[in-house]
Amino acid sequence: MAGGGSAGWDGGCAVTGHPLGRLLYHLCRLAVGGVFLYAGAVKGADVVAFAGEIANYRIVPEPFHYLAAAVVPMIETMAGILLLFNRRVRAAALVAGGLNLVFMLALGAALARGLDIGCGCFGAGAASGVKEALWRDLGLMAAIVLTFLLRGNDPLSR
Amino acid sequence: MSVVRRYPDSSWGQVLLEAFFICLAGAAFGVLLHYPLLGDVFLVRRPAAKALAAESRLPEAGSLIPALLEDVRALVEQGAVLVDARSPEAFREGHIAGARSLPLGPDPEGLARFRDRVPLTVPVVVYCSGYGCRDSHDVGARLIEAGYKEVLVFEGGFPEWRAAGLPVGTGAAP
Repeated sequence: MAGGGSAGWDGGCAVTGHPLGRLLYHLCRLAVGGVFLYAGAVKGADVVAFAGEIANYRIVPEPFHYLAAAVVPMIETMAGILLLFNRRVRAAALVAGGLNLVFMLALGAALARGLDIGCGCFGAGAASGVKEALWRDLGLMAAIVLTFLLRGNDPLSR
Repeated sequence: MSVVRRYPDSSWGQVLLEAFFICLAGAAFGVLLHYPLLGDVFLVRRPAAKALAAESRLPEAGSLIPALLEDVRALVEQGAVLVDARSPEAFREGHIAGARSLPLGPDPEGLARFRDRVPLTVPVVVYCSGYGCRDSHDVGARLIEAGYKEVLVFEGGFPEWRAAGLPVGTGAAP
């Protein structure tokens, strides 16, 4: 019997309980956790440079890009650690998904306005362009959704 | 007969609450960890520049004058000279259009060349990488020592200028 308050996230899903489903879950969880922990650590190491990267997008009004630069890497880091340690996985995946959606919207807006900027996804030194970053975030979003949906496969996750 | 194993699950409400606390904890840690920078941006330098602008008064002679973006735009239109205090590499990647590069470093000739080209009576606006950067203050102090009468520091620096969609140049200084 499912635990109290189950909303049946994965009810009826064919891969539930299957070893391959469990493997896919862990691969997605570790990949997303690793990417978020790395991104958060790199950006958090140089907040002023990351503030400059946020300013490039011309979305967050000055001086609030400094606040965003201080807060976002820490949330990314926390979500990454929880995913890597297999704890509060759905909540961490939800946070990661929310952040990733915001990143994708910002990248899409930059692309639509023809801004020639670096994505700033992994700090100021990262050289990837906006289009490349958008495709990467799309793949990351798929892994986040799979992590969220397949979490019920793992008896050890909390 | 297939047996579907189900492990303890959680409701939407619980997941949303946990996600909220992750964001809250992350935001709190971020603000606490970077309090010196954020305090400087929101509580000290920007309010000081705003107050000075509102009172339309000048600070004591021989001290740096904080300038807001709108002040800098007006000053540039009136003929003030912009000075980029960041590294030559950062300057090459992008700078405020029309700015001159005067990086902080052991280059006395750089300041001497600047003095040869810019009269001491011309207002000079110094900037660097934004509120976390002190180089504009240090270069500004050197300019005052060199005899410049009106030296302003644009605290928002290159990030604020670029974020406002104002003209940006690339490449080395002429």
